[in-house]
Amino acid sequence: MSSSARSMRELVNNLWRWTVDRLERTTIVVYKFTVPKQYVSPFGYLGTLTAIVFAILGVSGAFLMFYYRPDVELAYLSVKEIQEKVPFGFIMRNIHYHASNLMVLLAVLHLYYQYFSGRYKIKNEVLWVTGVILGVLTVLEAYTGYNLIMNQRAMLAVNIGMGLTFSAPILGPSVAPIFLGGGLFDLVIRFYALHVFILPLLMLLLAAVHFPRALIMDFPVISAVVGVIFISAGLFPAELGIKFDLTRGIVEVPEWYLTAIYAFLRAGTERFTAGALLPLLFVILFLIVPFVDRSRKLSWKDRPFFTGLGVASIALIAITTVWGFYVDFSKETAFDQLYVEPTLFYSTIGGVTLVSFYATYFYMSRQKRGVRPPPTRPIMLSPKTSTSLMITLLVFIAGAVAATFYTYSINLPNHSMFYLGIAFFLFGLLLHIYRHSLSVEERLKAQKQQQKAEITNQ
Amino acid sequence: MLQGILAAAAIVVISPFTMFINFFYRKEEERELRQKIANIRDLSPGSYIYFSYPQTGDPKVDNDPFRQYVLIMTHDGQLRVYSRVCVHLWCLPAYIPTKGQLICPCHGSIYRESDGVAVDGPAAYQSYPTNALPMGRVEVDNNGDIWMVGVEGRIGYGREWRNVKPEDLVKRV
Repeated sequence: MSSSARSMRELVNNLWRWTVDRLERTTIVVYKFTVPKQYVSPFGYLGTLTAIVFAILGVSGAFLMFYYRPDVELAYLSVKEIQEKVPFGFIMRNIHYHASNLMVLLAVLHLYYQYFSGRYKIKNEVLWVTGVILGVLTVLEAYTGYNLIMNQRAMLAVNIGMGLTFSAPILGPSVAPIFLGGGLFDLVIRFYALHVFILPLLMLLLAAVHFPRALIMDFPVISAVVGVIFISAGLFPAELGIKFDLTRGIVEVPEWYLTAIYAFLRAGTERFTAGALLPLLFVILFLIVPFVDRSRKLSWKDRPFFTGLGVASIALIAITTVWGFYVDFSKETAFDQLYVEPTLFYSTIGGVTLVSFYATYFYMSRQKRGVRPPPTRPIMLSPKTSTSLMITLLVFIAGAVAATFYTYSINLPNHSMFYLGIAFFLFGLLLHIYRHSLSVEERLKAQKQQQKAEITNQ
Repeated sequence: MLQGILAAAAIVVISPFTMFINFFYRKEEERELRQKIANIRDLSPGSYIYFSYPQTGDPKVDNDPFRQYVLIMTHDGQLRVYSRVCVHLWCLPAYIPTKGQLICPCHGSIYRESDGVAVDGPAAYQSYPTNALPMGRVEVDNNGDIWMVGVEGRIGYGREWRNVKPEDLVKRV
């Protein structure tokens, strides 16, 4: 290395250290970012990944605001314009849409991982409660977001949402008009305010409490998560739907995180009960778990009752979500297509929930704690192998990015998103191998030093 | 070596996002639109037509000040198209045929009909090139139809009027 390059590096290092020193005076250093030096299970930091996807949503959403018009007549047309005319609008909207789905998914996975590993104990009750509230806000944020398109699907959700708010006991008639205003022309701009400002602000405030002190930034996995957004956007490009038309009955189902509620509505359950009371009971169940489960045991294997409860809730969510999606198109009228036989529905979900609970409970309580499997020998790639692997990956990444540019140039934006996703995935792998080679280097150095010490001792 | 590969891969994988800058610009084609304004036979010295360009048919867009222009036949019989947005504070000056000037209703900036340069009022005290109205590029065909084909200068900002003569912006085709 030439001396000028070395002094340049020194300068950059000094500048970085200087900045970090000054940041000590600010609140930003309250959060400690740790970059793991080797692979750790992503389940442990699903929360950080959720926050990163939230940041992606913030950026892409802010850019979409440049073209979106919160007006009952113009909303759909402006989204159509973003989708079809604005350069990169299609991609921007797909990033936002798929990141929103991923955020809901990651939040749910995060909830269940923390639940099964008993992380709500050990003084984490505040983290747990704020987390559950953040999860509810995430779904509300997604709900207000997909309603802004004002297509048929949005109108269905708005209709159900307003209906169940109106039918809420005592408060309903005075709360619903806060969202509805004078009609749809008010509703769309109020949902917009909720979606882009009020709910994200609440989420940020809660997140400030919810973040644990140490945040794990695992760049290989973050890169892969970005890759997942692009790959899913490439495979399932976000649809525009049909502009809402109050003269046509079109069979629609809501987004996947709300079809569970929709299944109850389709079975003829009263709106407030199905859309608010049952989900609320579910949320309250999660909220009070840390105050009910007072045992000192953390692992799911030692808590058969709560493990059973968790598995039963997953079974309930899964079966209602799928049922809410299922539309019987062999029937003639829209009503018949969507109708869910209540006795069948309730007996099935009741049965499945109970069976899954008891099966898990009894299986878990009979199970004896097994011996832990012996630790596997760590994989150690030689420096030469990692270098050649990284070069190969670089070539593949370059190829994927070239394909991204090419497919975009021939007007296939969804293909280009897919290839970019592949590139990000491979980049994550490359980062991982880089990290691995660093740790191998360190280990080899330590070995050499040990040998040296042994020689001098002799 | 490894750091170099890593940096190269990072640059490659980030590079597609540089194209995202295009998201912030509306498409170019719109500005290249060729739009008929009037026929030259219907005009006489001192007559003028207000119109919007590029016209979309959507009144919310067409009424935008940045799309407002005026076609003037000057007292010398020359065709001129000016942006109606005053380069001072974006009010809409009106053409006064009797004076042969565009006069801004807000702060009284006065522009010459011959080249759109401010001769009096606050706009006249602004430095070059922010003291002249942007002009429309115009084509007149054999039938006498007048077409607007583009804009010279930045609307609401000014025009480099010393480089391009106003008569060069009117072409016969």
